[in-house]
Amino acid sequence: MSGNKSMEKSAALLKSAFREYYFKYSKFLDIPEHLEQREFGYMPFGSGMIRHLSFRNRGDILATLIRDVPADVYCSNAYYRFPTYPMQEKQWLGADLIFDIDAKDLHLPCELSHSYFICAKCFHVSDAKSEVCNSCKSAPLNKTSIPCTKCILALKKEVKRLVAVLLDDFGIEEKSVSVYFSGNNGFHIMVSDNSFNPLNSEARSDIVSYLTGTNLKTESVGVRKGSGSPGSDFLIKFPKSGISHGWRKLIADKIGIDQASVIKLSNVVQRSGGYEGFKSELGKMAKTLGVKVDPQVTMDIHRIFRMPGTINSKSGLVKMRCNDLESFDPLNDSCLLGDKELKVNTKVSSLINFKLRGQSFRINQSNLKLPLFAAVYLICKGLVEVAI
Amino acid sequence: MSIKIGTGDLAKYPFLNDASDYVRETHFDFQEFNRPEMNHIIDRAAERLEREIAKGLPDEKLDKYEIEILTFLVTLIMVKSIGTEPILKKHALFEAMRAEKFLTEDLLREKSEQKKRLLLSTIFKELFKVNVDISENDNRLFKVKITDYLMRASHFHEQDWKLINRLVHKGFVYLDADETVRLIRSELSELIYNKVKSMTLSTLPEAIKTKVDELSIKFAPHHQYRRYGVRDYPPCVKHALEVMNKGENLPHSARLMLATYMLAIGKSIEEIIMLFHNAPDYNEKVTKYQIEHLAGLRGSGTKYSVPSCQKLLNQNLCFATEECNGITNPIQFGRPTMIKRQSSSSP
Repeated sequence: MSGNKSMEKSAALLKSAFREYYFKYSKFLDIPEHLEQREFGYMPFGSGMIRHLSFRNRGDILATLIRDVPADVYCSNAYYRFPTYPMQEKQWLGADLIFDIDAKDLHLPCELSHSYFICAKCFHVSDAKSEVCNSCKSAPLNKTSIPCTKCILALKKEVKRLVAVLLDDFGIEEKSVSVYFSGNNGFHIMVSDNSFNPLNSEARSDIVSYLTGTNLKTESVGVRKGSGSPGSDFLIKFPKSGISHGWRKLIADKIGIDQASVIKLSNVVQRSGGYEGFKSELGKMAKTLGVKVDPQVTMDIHRIFRMPGTINSKSGLVKMRCNDLESFDPLNDSCLLGDKELKVNTKVSSLINFKLRGQSFRINQSNLKLPLFAAVYLICKGLVEVAI
Repeated sequence: MSIKIGTGDLAKYPFLNDASDYVRETHFDFQEFNRPEMNHIIDRAAERLEREIAKGLPDEKLDKYEIEILTFLVTLIMVKSIGTEPILKKHALFEAMRAEKFLTEDLLREKSEQKKRLLLSTIFKELFKVNVDISENDNRLFKVKITDYLMRASHFHEQDWKLINRLVHKGFVYLDADETVRLIRSELSELIYNKVKSMTLSTLPEAIKTKVDELSIKFAPHHQYRRYGVRDYPPCVKHALEVMNKGENLPHSARLMLATYMLAIGKSIEEIIMLFHNAPDYNEKVTKYQIEHLAGLRGSGTKYSVPSCQKLLNQNLCFATEECNGITNPIQFGRPTMIKRQSSSSP
């Protein structure tokens, strides 16, 4: 009973903290271009998604945020003639090209050390991975993570790799690429280049394959299947268009060849065990060199995507534009809630260690006083609840 | 000195607006087709259609521009008068392939960069709004804006066309002449298709009408392939047959699936050839050779088996329904063992 009461109190606290943010920091709301052609949606606290909304101006959006205080706010990357109509009748006009880089897709070695597993049924929290809940023996368990400095650095590195490909290979101007901290454990990248807007899902899937290094053929780097015995079952013939740019250059640099290195490449293939061996190694190389973007996000041309300047209810942090990725500190620059102190009870038996807004926190006891921004962070993560 | 589209170009590319202007400027009256000296044009047009529809081959002969422009016009009138969708689609595709051949040759052989640029601008830019330029480092290569490339090539099934297998640099994809031209094949075909669709025919000159009647009879048996007990086929095969029946292009992998499946269920080579009659690029000789090859009657003698459901799934050729539950290969569809397996697993 006290658990329910505590959850209610936690939800009320989040709602009030979020309202205060929208009231104080409306300047951070990043209003998209073609506003009136976008579909909006939001997730109220404790209920399902409301979609197919449309707003005429910033004031309309802000009024809704302050009145309804949603847990999460989304806006379509697509623009439509009739954004409020059912999906089949909206009349798709185009969509921004978007990318999502999430720490979970980077498979970082530190991941497990700061992950927690929350039972979807009884909300029991465990810091050890298991198939069923230790307390009620049910499944599933939802994973939550507190990103560490290593995660942030790895994410930034991946974002830089993506931006480099967009600029160098795709010829997109730097000013057309916007990078946002997602508000939780990743980054969102948006391209504002009209020539990409009409691309359908299939074309965007081709972009994803390019970025992730999927389906790179050996012929692209000059290795063709021949008819010889295993080990010498290949021919070297560089493509007419050369290997001096893009993926071809990436691979050429990796194995140390250029357009004139027929013998060297031949030796590389032979060392790999012939055509099939090289093919398999090339696949692995491409996977490693590829950028780890979430394919679904880029391919989905009807997605509603978290709106910049709104709070992510998985963390209480704000989805924020990063004007200078290098100096941007998500755990400081996106943490904009107040610092009034309140008491919380931890739901984790072990120590919770994290850094937020320049302060280090070590949570290992109940009835602990925390500033609002840190309490909200942990409530959103499902690791503490407001003490009654 | 500026270079203009010449009459030689109009002969190769009679779908250009300059060719329509030529017909308009000469005040050509359609009833002039009844004059005996026009019989050559009408016969030429009929031969072209017969070659395309019956033999599945494009007509690559090239004559003087006056003859080519009128032949082109008569073929359109004939296709419109026959009024059959698969024939229109086939003709549109072959007419596109004909232009594709000439354009590739022009881009490969033309020495003057100015002339090459004129063709790129007249055909790619003006007709299809595709910006193509000659590569800075190698004038045998052409560069296409990445978004123009993706809008077209992402429909192609071959892995070679995937962006990752292309030379990509600073927003451009670098292609050789035939690849560049291949990129606009379906738009060329669509251009011809729309030209026929938007035509309004009043009174047909008698000479053309007589030829159209002859062609309609000749082509009639080929309009529809014999339908087998389609309801017993697995959904992937049904889908391939439906696509083929509409006269639409079926990817190579789907053709292989269809042919190997039909061979596996005991259809004769001739019966299977009939299934491919409606393919826009149908060529009886080539189709026969390929089916015989799959049947193990040619080459190494290896008989090809029907691709597995997993393989078809990877190739986006799987359209599984509940009835497919428990099968791993389309050939197992509807077999008693499968029915037994399904019924034994039910509660």
